[in-house]
Amino acid sequence: MVAFCLAWSLAQVVMPQTGQEEKARQITSDGSFKSHLSWSPDGKKLLFTRIHKGKMELCSVDQLQGSKVEPLVQPPPNTPHFDGSWSLDGKQIAYVHDILQGTDGKLQINIVNADGTQPKVVIPHKAFEESPRFTPDGQKLLWVSTRDGNQEIYSFEITSAKVTRLTQNPGFDNNPNIRRDGQRVVFSSSRYGNFEILSMNMDGSDTKRLTNHGSLDIWPSFSPDGGKIAFTSNRTGNYNIFVMDENGGNLAQITNNRGVNNFAAWNPSGEEIAYISNKNGAYEIYIHSLRK
Amino acid sequence: MLTLGAKTSIPVSRRGAIQIGASAILGMSWDRLLAQAPTGSAKSVIFLWLWGGPSQLDTFDPKPNAPSEFRSPFANIPTKIPGVHFTELFPMLAHRSDHFSLLRSMHTQSNDHGVAGTIGLTGSIAGAVGLDGKPRPGQARPTLGSTVAKVRRMQGGLPSFLVVGGKLHQGKKPIIGENSGFLGASCDPFRLEFDEEKGTRVNALDLGQGLTPERLDDRQRLAGALDDIERKLQKGASPWTEQMQQAYALLLRPESRKMFDLGQETPAMRDRYGRTRFGQSCLLARRLVEKKVPFVQVNWSDHVEAEEDAGDGGWDHHYRNFQIMVDRHGPWLDRSISTLLDDLRDRGLLESTLVVAVGEFGRTPKINEKAGRDHWEHCYCALVAGGGIKPGRVIGTSDARAERPAERPLTPADLGATIHQALGITSEQSQSFGLATGGEVIGELF
Repeated sequence: MVAFCLAWSLAQVVMPQTGQEEKARQITSDGSFKSHLSWSPDGKKLLFTRIHKGKMELCSVDQLQGSKVEPLVQPPPNTPHFDGSWSLDGKQIAYVHDILQGTDGKLQINIVNADGTQPKVVIPHKAFEESPRFTPDGQKLLWVSTRDGNQEIYSFEITSAKVTRLTQNPGFDNNPNIRRDGQRVVFSSSRYGNFEILSMNMDGSDTKRLTNHGSLDIWPSFSPDGGKIAFTSNRTGNYNIFVMDENGGNLAQITNNRGVNNFAAWNPSGEEIAYISNKNGAYEIYIHSLRK
Repeated sequence: MLTLGAKTSIPVSRRGAIQIGASAILGMSWDRLLAQAPTGSAKSVIFLWLWGGPSQLDTFDPKPNAPSEFRSPFANIPTKIPGVHFTELFPMLAHRSDHFSLLRSMHTQSNDHGVAGTIGLTGSIAGAVGLDGKPRPGQARPTLGSTVAKVRRMQGGLPSFLVVGGKLHQGKKPIIGENSGFLGASCDPFRLEFDEEKGTRVNALDLGQGLTPERLDDRQRLAGALDDIERKLQKGASPWTEQMQQAYALLLRPESRKMFDLGQETPAMRDRYGRTRFGQSCLLARRLVEKKVPFVQVNWSDHVEAEEDAGDGGWDHHYRNFQIMVDRHGPWLDRSISTLLDDLRDRGLLESTLVVAVGEFGRTPKINEKAGRDHWEHCYCALVAGGGIKPGRVIGTSDARAERPAERPLTPADLGATIHQALGITSEQSQSFGLATGGEVIGELF
């Protein structure tokens, strides 16, 4: 299978070409590297990480084409901060804040108001803390930590600071994304030897493997109705966005170009998927319409 | 403020600089600027310095049968070399593996970036300074590009050795071994940088004078600018050095400015290399070897650290290694080197251009408790292409966990000797200049 995939990919991985996806519209054009895309619950803004002029920072952009990219946190910190996600009520954003000690980064989890004001620490640095995601009721955060010697997914009760470990295995478990009903979590894991997409209950039980392919499957994201999961896979040779049913069935390829397409994020209606791609050279945000 | 790669005390007058720009440079063909040079299979070298130390297991030496705490979480994919696999992050290079050879048994003497960096750039530990602050015995040797510049001189002010990138750092500590050492300032690197907003920057001209290449079009303005500099020099500023002379001479030539100007390339070509600093720097390197510059070094980053550690995207991934490899370093390296090889081949330059990609060491085979890998000097990889070397070969092997060389251990000194060999620099020449590194030519590559 791997040989087949490579053979297929060899014809594909030449160079990106423009204009292959008529349904995708380009949102940004600043040329800087971007990652970690998250769509605001009101559908108006896109939150992402940008490396610009040597600084790694959270930024937002209005989802209207050609809007200006703005740093989120005010005043902008001098240290790296990245991988933000919205609370379901749209009032807060959780993100990774990097405390620099000399040349060592120490990751902690912060929360900031959606307008970028009043950042505060919620999960102090104990190990390398990242990928915070609000539960729909706003009472908890799921996040990834190496505090037990390996990347695992944990839950954190914001009021009590109670920590519960949800995954326990030697592989890396990361990229969590919570279904809007708050019942299931989808995530990526290397426990089977390479990164695959899995889902589990919010307490870590009932883990199900959703992909089974000898390639990279990462950054899963539930659709607003919970029926679909978008994710990134390099099964075509390069990174493309795919969508599957929540049980892993009905796989459909969304992007089909020769660039790196990553970090799929659904809009609240479920009719569009935003993603980051270098299909036209630089890493920019695109929105793909699922409307027929 | 002068920001020269290395300062010399050779004074040059304003008039002298202008005369060089006017008479010795202008109007001469590039071919005529070439001095008599040794003949080897390679005429130029592009040395891609992967500062910070890439993981051997997550790139070109995966060990899928190693225990889970060692092996890469990335799948391995076949290459065009039977039985040889890379990780899935490098599909383009896997497809082009018949265009380059791989050294899988590199090893060095230190797991300190500073010391290993000196060894990687000079072939010797002499003069290296690590985090302990203690210089290793002996005088630091000239960096590899300087040794080439010593033998392959270009006339008329065009430097033989250009570095695309800033000065290398480990934290705030600069690295020993980036300069010409005892060979003298004429062999020092001339630095360029790719800036995402400004394009190519010629650092030696960061004079705070408001000078731009456009302003230097005007001879009167140039003369005025040099007058300003001389006045400042009289007040005790840095001397008007030979390297500044070179810089001005270079910028006086419209052809030079075109050579540095990536805007001369089509957007499609720039896209192919990747719109990253490394990708565009590789493109700039191709433009330079196209003009027969003997040695171009491209630094992946100035700092060993990634942005998460206040660096500028280096390979020193003690944590977040696997995310950074997936999101950034894997796709960037795969695209940029693949395109560079394709582009050189398409222009008929690959046979005469030796391309080497290597860091100062590898990374720990055992994954640490922070989802990263630490420094590992005992085993790492280097990629070698073009310049008349035999492609499609894997020289040296590592053991089952890529912890140590299993066969044919190789050193940075061996790699340096091999680069000299490809350029036709004989061991006698090396010895006569005091450049012998003690390394042995990797004969299987020829």
